[in-house]
Amino acid sequence: MRKGTRLRLVLRDLGSGFAFASMAVSGQLPIWSLVLYGVALVIALAGRRPFANRVKLTALLLLAVALTLGTNVLAGSLNLVVAACAFAGLISAQRLLSTPDAATDGQVHLSGLLMVAGGAALSGELIYGLFLILFGVLASIALALGVVESAVPEGEPVPVRAVMGPLAMGVGFAVVGAVAFFVLFPRLNWNMIGPSASPGLGVATAGFSNTVRLGGAGTIKGNPRIVLRATLTPDPEKEALDAYWVGRTYDVFDGMEWSNARATSDGSEFMTTLRPGQKNLVHQHVELMPAYGARTLVALETPSRLGNAVANTQMGSRRTQIHELGGGEVRFRDSGISYSYEAYSLPPGASGDDVQDLPPEEQDALLSLPEGLDIRVGQTAARVLNGERDPLAAARKLSAWLQREYSYTLELSGDVPDPVADFLFQRKQGHCEHFATALTLMLRTQGMRARLATGFFGGERVTGGYVVRAGDAHAWTHVLVPGRGFITVDATPPAHRASQSPRLLEQLINFYEVVESQWRDVVLDYNFRDQLTVVRSLTRSHEIPKKNEPPSRAPPPRAFGAALLAAAAAYTAWRLLTQFLSRERPLEATRFADAVEAQLASARITRVDGETLEALDARLARERHPLSPALTPVARRYLEARFGGRPLQQGEATRLLTDLRRAVLTESQRVASEGTRPPQARAS
Amino acid sequence: MNQPARALSPVPSPANARSAMERIATQLGRAVQGKSSQLQLVVTSLVAGGHVLLEDVPGVGKTTLAEALAKACGLSFARVQFTADLMPADVLGAQVFHAQTATFQFRPGPLFRQLVLADELNRAPPRTQSALLEAMAQGQVSLDGATHALPAPFTVVATQNPVDFSGTYPLPDSQLDRFMVRMSLGHPTPEVEAGLLVTRDGTPPLDAVETVSGPEELASLRSFAAALRLDASVADYVVRLATATRSHGDLERGASTRAVLALGAAARAHALWDARDFATPGDVRAVLVPCWAHRIMLRSAVQGVSARDEAAHLLEEIARKVPAPR
Repeated sequence: MRKGTRLRLVLRDLGSGFAFASMAVSGQLPIWSLVLYGVALVIALAGRRPFANRVKLTALLLLAVALTLGTNVLAGSLNLVVAACAFAGLISAQRLLSTPDAATDGQVHLSGLLMVAGGAALSGELIYGLFLILFGVLASIALALGVVESAVPEGEPVPVRAVMGPLAMGVGFAVVGAVAFFVLFPRLNWNMIGPSASPGLGVATAGFSNTVRLGGAGTIKGNPRIVLRATLTPDPEKEALDAYWVGRTYDVFDGMEWSNARATSDGSEFMTTLRPGQKNLVHQHVELMPAYGARTLVALETPSRLGNAVANTQMGSRRTQIHELGGGEVRFRDSGISYSYEAYSLPPGASGDDVQDLPPEEQDALLSLPEGLDIRVGQTAARVLNGERDPLAAARKLSAWLQREYSYTLELSGDVPDPVADFLFQRKQGHCEHFATALTLMLRTQGMRARLATGFFGGERVTGGYVVRAGDAHAWTHVLVPGRGFITVDATPPAHRASQSPRLLEQLINFYEVVESQWRDVVLDYNFRDQLTVVRSLTRSHEIPKKNEPPSRAPPPRAFGAALLAAAAAYTAWRLLTQFLSRERPLEATRFADAVEAQLASARITRVDGETLEALDARLARERHPLSPALTPVARRYLEARFGGRPLQQGEATRLLTDLRRAVLTESQRVASEGTRPPQARAS
Repeated sequence: MNQPARALSPVPSPANARSAMERIATQLGRAVQGKSSQLQLVVTSLVAGGHVLLEDVPGVGKTTLAEALAKACGLSFARVQFTADLMPADVLGAQVFHAQTATFQFRPGPLFRQLVLADELNRAPPRTQSALLEAMAQGQVSLDGATHALPAPFTVVATQNPVDFSGTYPLPDSQLDRFMVRMSLGHPTPEVEAGLLVTRDGTPPLDAVETVSGPEELASLRSFAAALRLDASVADYVVRLATATRSHGDLERGASTRAVLALGAAARAHALWDARDFATPGDVRAVLVPCWAHRIMLRSAVQGVSARDEAAHLLEEIARKVPAPR
């Protein structure tokens, strides 16, 4: 195999690998497909093609895989898009291991494109972009090397070194251009890579639906993606906030699902402008990240006011309306990629709502029990409470009992007819929704009003604010205490309330989040408003004018400093640009001479003392070097092209170089057969 | 022996020009043996329209070379031996009183030839030297208000003895600038000298030289050479070389503009040896030392042959440092 071919195939395979990785980072592909592809890639990179002579057999294998995937899709255990992506990856793997010919190369690149498209469907953020670029670069170089290779006659070496330089430069320019494009037009790139605004490392699990359904099969993944960032005033200055961020509440349970008695509230829309100054309230400036994947506003318990809502969309950031739905849920009117808003919350246990404030149907709903609720639920509750009638004390007693007697698991229960009974009396283990549902229902059986609340629990300190992860999604219970309003009681064992993910992974994710957040703040969300803010902060004096003096209109010194810096930067850029534009560009004839000299160098004829090709040719002629007859016409043609005003024709340089290369090869063969050294080229 | 001059085709080609130049050089080689590169340089200078300064000890064939050149090219020839008492009129000619017509008539001096050998030019007083050099520069002689054109192609081959300086008036550098090339023949190799002893049976060496060209052909060669393409990058190379000599620390004075023009012309003529219709940096390099070594002025006090060697060495060094266009 020729040297260039090996390099090209490695580049091709690596490119395909990155295309697959762009899908794999979504974390949605089946594990076995990851393993299969990984093994295939390693074998291919080692230069082995075991499928070379087994086209039909391996096609059958693919068919079997397609059938398996199809069955999974029909059975509902696999998403169609995920299955298609996995299949694309396996097609690519099969092609990687086949005989490398032109058709196979094309198919590998094509499947790479498919995988990249699949990656865009599955995920779409920073890390995806990185893999996309890597795939683009490697595949382009591999393709270009293929073109060069096919142009070189059989049996001759591929000028890899000569090709790679300009190729790498061209690809580098393209990548830089693409990056510049992304940076200069941030909103456009959202359209391209983030239309679904789905998280890059996993599915958004924080989606708020109108119902909460118990049951389902599988395992809840502890997703460490950051969905929310908040700055609190006053700052609690705690490392772990351990607070409840409520999104909405539910009051009606039908045995399987939680919903609301009133589907929607009055549906009023509002665009509130919040002003600072409310005392005793916790102020929050909240940013919802793209990984959040929903439009529901969340705030610390108990929210009292929400407003200043801004949606960051593809077209820029703008104020948006929010409207209230059932269950106290507040949603953004417009959909955006990310949102920011402000909220004021009452300190814990001070909501002041009372039963009488609620509409009658809601009052009833807070006591409603599903039809056919297992009788043992009420009996158990009564046994545990042992006559306790105070709602709060009862709730605490029940939750302590639940935490003691039941264990937490991320395994879902599967679809059972009565999830609550199953949890309480069969499995005796479950996740937060089971605990919260059980507590709520048990309270209701004893005539105490309670409801289910969903949102997040936690808050991890990051640079002056707090972040909440997708895996922090949580459910808990609100118990209505007369005279105090709804009080939060959490039946879930405390150790399992916040997200559960491995430490190392969390740290890696943290790092990624920091990078991505910087990227978002500095590049993507940087808009005219931010520019104006920066300029204002530069030109306006922060000093408070003294009483006796009139305020100074002169800009502060840093404004001049910044102007000076900007001028210096502009001047430097201009200088560099003019230097770059006025640099000497190598003429075609000069490049030709360079190529000739490179060929001569391969025959161990080197220039002495900065000799020109002309002088070198004259010297070889004087020395009667065996290559001189071959070189002279080439050198002559170079001189004509360079100084005689007769440019090289299309393809002429290639032809001349090919002739010269033949002469060089013949000469080296002759020398080898004679076993003598070629006459050493010396300076005269 | 005189043959009619072979005229070149109306549109001379580089190949034709080369064959004509090679014919002349071959004939010169019959008179002066073993000196092909110097002969080539003489022909190059002739085609470039320049004058030649031969610096040599006596007896190495300077006169023979000049005479052979005249004969091979079919040019009228005069040899002027410059001595300390030679007056300008002896060279240029003078107004003489014609008794019968009672008028003054111009009697042309030996300068009115197509090829003039100015032997031991540095022995003549400065007045005479400058009269000759002025004629060389202008191609004409002005005397008593009348201008007399010199026959074309007017070429001077001057010689001077670089070793024996007693009783000489060394040529000022400004005058030296008017010679396109300076060269020395040097002693022939022992083999050639031995061959001379054996083969020369009393016949003068010039007898072997045949006339293979003529003034018309020479004129057409000159105009052809002058019109050769000199790429902007090559011109720039010449100028960069001149600039390098002007700023060189060991040089009192660098190459003049005349030197730049002369180098360009010589390079063009040199290109014809390769049957090219354009000059290359290689042509410039080939004629650089003979063309400039006598024109640049050293800071050191060395004179004569060693000064030329030193200058040649410096020029080689400069040429190595100034990158040729690629």
